[in-house]
Amino acid sequence: METLTIKDVRKSYGEIEAVKGINFSVEEGEVFGLIGPNGSGKTTTLRMISTLLRLTTGSITVCGRDVAGEPDDVRKVISYLPEDAGAYKGLTGRSYLKFMAGFFADGEEFEKMVQKGMEIADLGDRIDSKIETYSKGMMRRLLIARAIMPSPKIAIMDEVTSGLDVVNAYEIREIIRGIAQKGVTVLLSSHNMFEVDMLCDRIAMINEGRIVLTGTPAELKEQYGAANLEEVFVRAVKE
Amino acid sequence: MNHLLNLTKKELRELLTPGAVVSVLVMVFLFMGIGSVAGNAVDEATALSKIGIVNGDPSGHWSEFALDFIYEAYGSNASEYIVMLDTPYGNNEEIMKEMIEKGLNTAYGMGPGFTASINAKTQTTIDEYYIFTNNGLLGSAASAVSPLIIQLISQSISKELISTVTDPSAADFILHPIKDPTMQGSPDTRHTYVKGEVYDGVSPAELSAALMSQTMMVPIVIMMIIMVIGTMVISSMGSEKENKTLETLLTMPVRRTTIVSGKLLAAAIVGLVYGMAYMVGMSFYMGGIMGSVGSIDLQDYGLSLGLTDWILIAVMIFLAIFCALGLCMILGAFTKNYKAAQTMMLPISVLAMIPMFITMFTSWGSLPALMQAFLFAIPFSHPMMVMSNLMFGNMTLVLAGIAYLSVFTLVIIFITVKLYKSDILLTGIGQTKAAKTFKAFGVKRRP
Ligand SMILES: Nc1ncnc2c1ncn2[C@@H]1O[C@H](COP(=O)(O)OP(=O)(O)O)[C@@H](O)[C@H]1O
Ligand SMILES: [Mg+2]
Repeated sequence: METLTIKDVRKSYGEIEAVKGINFSVEEGEVFGLIGPNGSGKTTTLRMISTLLRLTTGSITVCGRDVAGEPDDVRKVISYLPEDAGAYKGLTGRSYLKFMAGFFADGEEFEKMVQKGMEIADLGDRIDSKIETYSKGMMRRLLIARAIMPSPKIAIMDEVTSGLDVVNAYEIREIIRGIAQKGVTVLLSSHNMFEVDMLCDRIAMINEGRIVLTGTPAELKEQYGAANLEEVFVRAVKE
Repeated sequence: MNHLLNLTKKELRELLTPGAVVSVLVMVFLFMGIGSVAGNAVDEATALSKIGIVNGDPSGHWSEFALDFIYEAYGSNASEYIVMLDTPYGNNEEIMKEMIEKGLNTAYGMGPGFTASINAKTQTTIDEYYIFTNNGLLGSAASAVSPLIIQLISQSISKELISTVTDPSAADFILHPIKDPTMQGSPDTRHTYVKGEVYDGVSPAELSAALMSQTMMVPIVIMMIIMVIGTMVISSMGSEKENKTLETLLTMPVRRTTIVSGKLLAAAIVGLVYGMAYMVGMSFYMGGIMGSVGSIDLQDYGLSLGLTDWILIAVMIFLAIFCALGLCMILGAFTKNYKAAQTMMLPISVLAMIPMFITMFTSWGSLPALMQAFLFAIPFSHPMMVMSNLMFGNMTLVLAGIAYLSVFTLVIIFITVKLYKSDILLTGIGQTKAAKTFKAFGVKRRP
């Protein structure tokens, strides 16, 4: 079943057309990667899916709900993690998770959700420290925990490992694999082709607002006879 | 190149953004505007004004002498500016009525015994009649100079007497043939008409000073509240954007209206708490200053506020806080980060400072129609003027102000929610015309 369908979507910022008619769909339970260089339109696309930006033309459906027509319903099933996101610096990790969980549940369910968030964040005692004292890696784990604890149908993550060191990035990827195994659909963007190769079931390559290729990493590499996705991308863009 | 020069140049380039330049220019124009308004008020106050004369001692030697003195002082304008009143001396209320009819704010009166008393070497008095209108600090200037005029008349009489009288025991009388009405123990020769009643022993200048001490802190407090909560809201929006927490919040399953209301409500509560703290602090401060000067109880002159008045004031302050918050939320929507928030405060500061200065130095009644319209249009003027408007029973203005503020608040909230539903919150202003205008004001778009 298709969790996400994007049809002929375009987006202009004034005179700049950032997304120039893209189509792709994401199946339930998939880890789907949107990859492309900086400025290719990844963030714009993810923001449109997350009901943050209006579509100039085209349509997006999430779990059968139209992003433009039923944004409130879409927000109930998605979880969006912006690129380079932060949290309220004055709060502790725990109170931040509580604040966010308050939007989804109350009572026992709320407690469970916060508990789950703390487990994913895995910050130990530091969960009760102020967020302003967190390292980049801790912050990212907290934010991922926040995004996943309400059990969204689809988790949308923009450049989720960017700026992290090898160990932190590895841990984040492990968390993402874990949630995918539990049946959550994941849509992530990245400009790191190796990372996407390791993590994603299927990918779409985006360049200058257009989708140049879609498929599984293995298929694409085979199709172009390339050793890695970087080569695939360079050749696909040149064609 | 010299490193210092190089660094200074770079710092200057960063500091002198178009926004900073514009803000300096706005300040200059603001003060020029205030200067000319205050200047007009001063001109009006010091311009020759018409006075009335009640002569209860017609054809008496010394009353004729005093009149001649006044006529001489007015010179060629005398016939135009000096009005002899028909009402006989003694009937103060009728005198006031005639003054209002003839458009006079000030009149002087001499009683039937004026000449006789001076001839008998006893001190006499000149009565003063005032119509008190709420014209701000500068509006009451006329009554402040009256003691001087009376003193001048007294002096000129004393010059005449000095050559004729040789009795040393009468020295005190000769130096002050007319009593100083502001001295302790003087008879109540000053009569002031306030809202339909005549009060003795008080001058408009004294009433104005007392009024000021009561009402002056209101504009200052309102301005402070607006600045404090404005900075708070705009910089909170700036940091929410910088940390992308706003972006996250906007994807939560919660209505945009709820997000907007939550922000508004929290800031309104803080604003009210700040406001009350300032009010309390300022009233202690003012009490400290004014108490030592010896104050006039305005309640004695029918210039006090009842419960309904206080409720109206509270409503107005609350509405104004909401207007300010709404405006800040709109400006905050265009703020890219914490730093840019500073520039965004400029329009709010200007809107709060203009009415503060105007209401402190002048009053509604003394402004030309254009300035009145200007003042009315600025939402923050209303809570700044409301106290004196209520004291003087200017209900139409108060109610019109409340209506205006309500509509303004609704429109602002409507626009805010619209903004929160649009792209602008995340993208800033795109490549549109508006963007270019805003860019000129130093609002930068992230690449
Ligand atoms: N607010 C904006 N106003 C104008 N242009 C923008 C705005 N945001 C992004 N763009 C432009 O849209 C294009 C796509 O940007 P983005 O979606 O952020 O790319 P990516 O996330 O792939 O790096 C870029 O050319 C960028 O400059
Ligand atoms: Mg991006």
